[in-house]
Order: sequence, then C-alpha cells, then structure tokens
Amino acid sequence: MRYALRNIKRAKRRAVYTFLATFYPALILVIMFGFAAGEMQSLFDSATKLETGHLQIRSAKELSGGSIPIFALPEGLVDELAHSDLLEFWTLRLDLPALAAIGSRSYGVVVQGVEPEKIRRISPVPGLVVQGRYIGGSGEAVVGEELARLLNLAVGDALVLLSAHPEAGMGAGVVMVVGIFRAPQAEMGRTIVQVSLDTAQDLVRRENAVTSVVAYVAGVTGPWHASRIEKAAAELEKILPPGLAVKKFAELAPEVAVFMQIARPVLTAFSAIFFILGGLVVLNSFYLAVLERTRELGVIRALGASRKWIMAALFWEVLVLSGSGAVLGALLGTGLIALVEKLGGLRLPGAYSEYLRAFGVDPILHLRVSPGEVAGAALAMIGVAVLSAWYPARRAARLDPVEAMRYVL
Amino acid sequence: MSSDVVIRAEGLVKIYRTDAVETLALRGVDLSIHKGEFTAVAGPSGSGKSTLLHLLGGLDRPTSGEVFLEGKALSKLHPEELARLRLERIGFVFQAHNLIPVLTVLENVTFALELRGVPARERERRAREVLAELGIEKYAQQFPHRLSGGEQQRVAVARAVVGDPAVVLADEPTASLDGENSRALIDLMRRLNETRGTTFFFATHDARLLDRVKRLLILEDGRIVSERVQA
Repeated sequence: MRYALRNIKRAKRRAVYTFLATFYPALILVIMFGFAAGEMQSLFDSATKLETGHLQIRSAKELSGGSIPIFALPEGLVDELAHSDLLEFWTLRLDLPALAAIGSRSYGVVVQGVEPEKIRRISPVPGLVVQGRYIGGSGEAVVGEELARLLNLAVGDALVLLSAHPEAGMGAGVVMVVGIFRAPQAEMGRTIVQVSLDTAQDLVRRENAVTSVVAYVAGVTGPWHASRIEKAAAELEKILPPGLAVKKFAELAPEVAVFMQIARPVLTAFSAIFFILGGLVVLNSFYLAVLERTRELGVIRALGASRKWIMAALFWEVLVLSGSGAVLGALLGTGLIALVEKLGGLRLPGAYSEYLRAFGVDPILHLRVSPGEVAGAALAMIGVAVLSAWYPARRAARLDPVEAMRYVL
Repeated sequence: MSSDVVIRAEGLVKIYRTDAVETLALRGVDLSIHKGEFTAVAGPSGSGKSTLLHLLGGLDRPTSGEVFLEGKALSKLHPEELARLRLERIGFVFQAHNLIPVLTVLENVTFALELRGVPARERERRAREVLAELGIEKYAQQFPHRLSGGEQQRVAVARAVVGDPAVVLADEPTASLDGENSRALIDLMRRLNETRGTTFFFATHDARLLDRVKRLLILEDGRIVSERVQA
C-alpha cells in the first residue's frame, strides 16, 4: 500500500490521467441515470395519470377494431375494492368510439365517461382547462383545444355525440361544452371528449356500464415500483368475478413500457463507451508505468517479492486512483442532480421539449438517482479500471528478474 | 557434504541462445561456499561472473548442473518457492540502481523484512541497528536520490544483511564507485563478515580489491581457472 501511494506521488501526471479516466465516466453515468429516471418518471406519470392508471380491471373479452369491451359493474366489486388496501385510488371509466358533430362539421373522437369528482384527484385534465371549467355533472363535456379548432367549438356550444360501440350499437346524445383544455399531447387534444360517466352510460343505454376500473396501486411512485403493480394485479385477479381481468400498465401503454425498458440499457450502453475509453487510459497508463519501472520491479522480484505482491502493489495503485476518481465522479454527479432539482428541474430546450410534449411528457425534467445507482456507477468504473490494469499487473508479476534488471527504457 | 556448506554448485553450464547465436557463459563450474567465508570471484568482463551469481542466487536456471542452497536443489523449486528462498536466505547487492526510489533508506532496508512478515517495530529496530553499524543511520529518512553512489551501495549492503541471510551475493557492487569508495565498501562488507559472521560471495573485476578477500576464485571463459585462500 505504501509502495502504491508513493508511486502515485512519483508519477503525478499519470495519476491525474488515471483519476480523470475514472472520474468522468462515473460522473457521466450518474447524470445519465438521473436523466433516464427523470424521463421515465415523466413518461410514467403522464401515461398513468392521463390515460392508463397503474392497472385496469376490464372485461376479459377481446373486441376487433380496438374498442374496449363493455361490462356491467358487478355488485360487490365496488365494495371489495373499497375495502382492499392494495389500491390507493380507483375510478370508473366508460370509453366509447364516437363521432362529435356540430353543424356541418364532425370528427371521430373517443368519449371518455369519467367520475368528475374522483378523477380530479389524479388526472391533470381538470387543471389543463384554459377556457370555461371542468365538467361537474350530466350533459356536460370538455374538449381539447385541437378539437375545438377543428369543429369551431366554443364554450357554451352544444355538441352532438354519436357513439358506435360493437356491443352496444349506436347511441346519440347532446352535451354542452363547458370547458376547453390544453392537452399535453396533440392527438389527445383532437380526440378526447370527457363527459360524466352517466352521460356516457346514456349513450349506450346501460346503467352500470363501464369499460374499465382505472386503479392506482398503493405505494407506487414510479416505474421502479413495477413489482408492486405486478403483486397488486395478482392479488386483484383472485377477487375478480369470472369474465373480468386485470391489465397492467405495461399492457395498457406498451409503447411507453417498451421505451422505459430500453431507455436504461441504451443509456448504459452509451455510457459503456466512456467506460471503455476510461479503461483504455488506465491500461495505457499502467502499461507505461510497468515499462518505466521494469528495473525496479526486477530488483523487487530478485529480493524475493512474490508475483502476488507485485500484482497487489499495482492493484492498490489502480484502486486508490480509480476509487477516488469514480467515487468523486459519482458524488459530483449526484450533487449536480440535487442542485438541478433544487432549482426546479431541467427545462429542456425547444425542439426536444416539443417532442416530449407530443408524447404527453412534461418538458421540465426532474432528474433523480438512487443510492444504488450511484454506488453501481462507481463500482462499475472501479471494476473496469481494475480489469484494465490486469494485463500490465500480470506482465509485471511475470517479469524475469535478471532480464528486468538489465532493462533500459 | 560438510554441514557448513551454504551453497554448492555442481557442473554448472549456462548457454544463452538467441535465434542465430549460442553463447556458452559457464562451462561446468563446481564450487562450494562455506559459512562465514568472504569470497570474491574475479575475472574479465564476459567471463561469466554475473551469470554465476545469478545461478547461485536462484535468479536464473542453469542449462545443466545443479545449485544446492543449504542442501536444497534450486532446480526443483517453483519460481515462487525460489522467490521465498531468496527472500529468507539470500541477500543481494547489485551493481547500481538497486534501491527502490520511492522508499526512504529505512524503508528500503526494512523492505525484505516486511515481505517476510516481520513486525514493524522489530524490523525498524533491526534496520536502524545495521544502518548505525554502517554509519548511515542519519540518512534513514532520506530518499535514495539524495545519497551519493557510495552511500546508496552501503544502504544496499544494509538491506542485504539485515535479514541475517545464509549468504550475501554481490554482483560487482563497486562497479559504479570510484577507487576510494570501492575500497571503503569492500572493507565495510569485510567488517560485517567478521562482526556478524555474514557469508559474502561477490564478483568483481577490480584487481585493487582482491587483497581484501579471504578466498579468491578466478573465472575465465566460463571456467574457474584458479583458487586461492588468503590471510
């Protein structure tokens, strides 16, 4: 250890290179973890709050054409859910494909029958209303800005809804537009008409008709709690009557789930480039160190040091340098993430911000990193550095003492 | 074999082979080094002195023949066993640059003791004792580059004897020293031989030092051509 520390002091420039070669990759990886977690949190929040919930209870039937099957809410299920401690919150929804028309204009939409009072707790739509107000009861609707533009709608207009569900047939009704909301996603703004649940049930002429029970699992704050969602889904399956099934977030928003699945490996692979570069610097640095110290290592070997001792001396050196570099890099990354969060998150630049908005993602990114990720980044870099030093250390340990003492650089 | 024989060499032959050339460095050397001897092997450059010392010290292996250290055949040992044997039973002094530059004088002297697992306090006590005996204790905390060539070689001698080895092998220890420092170093080694009973076997090509040894071997062209015992 002392020999290792003295060698670090002896070759300061090389020590600095090795330090930086481990510092930057660890720093970059931690920041990337922060970005990945932030993006995944945004995607998860927007998908679950706007659309899917953590899971949904639906009819087990499959309908062609993409419509969600309608089922009558079984007696007792509401009580069962109310008494279940698995769910933090749940609400009913009836989604119907429909044609929205006013005057000579019409547009294909999805009528979402929701429980207005309950959904306020979780959905951002009531907060996105930019004209008028959110729905309060029967016969009222809110529409997105894009649909309002397409149909030339204004608050106070009467909107005709013609639903056409494969199981319920045609239905018609008139609602009053009480509010216009600014959708975080253009597609949603064009296609979603939110009405009260009973208004939607009138369109299909069925009391108690729903397409989903949208549920939020207790204790789930982000995609990293996927196992809690799985566990809650499995528990719910046990209490559901025949004909109903639980659909999890990953099935309800597969594109978001896939993105979340690949985001981290892609970022990690990208970081691996920096790790490889860092490893090459360490390899080069220690290879040169062994060359420069060949005579000295020959003397040490001649005096009776074992191969293990020689390797250990070099590994101590790489451990001290890469350990301090990787740990400080990871800590600085954590500090920068904490600072960004303290300042309110990272407002993403224009084009990227618009891109995220199209996916319904908040363009302010909230970075986060877990202690496990920080430790993982630092340890991975130290591991790469030690592996990189393996070859020079092995070469040093296998030096022939006589040849080594004759060596002139 | 007499019990006071520290090293015995039998029929040592060493051939260095490169792609095109074969060099016969030793052509069948037989010798015994006894406990407490102060022996020099002298001869012109290229006579095989360094090769002989490397073979006797287990740093290299002979093409044929055998070296026995305290009765143990070196050719049968694994490189790591040889390293352990060198650490515990042999002290080395090389021509030059044989101190570890990043360690202080005291740390250089205690280095081999540390490898042997001698406790810190004990190794420092022993190192300071030898440094005092060699008159260089005042340099204990200095790094080697601050010392003259003669002082550095004295530190190397201190390192070689501190572990009470069976034999100290010195390969031209005076090669980088001037005449005065060379004689001083050999006198110092002789004194250690007399006071501590340390066995010394060293190679030299400096004829001015030969009157200071008890036993002299002359090596020429890879063979011991004469041997004499001196007062």
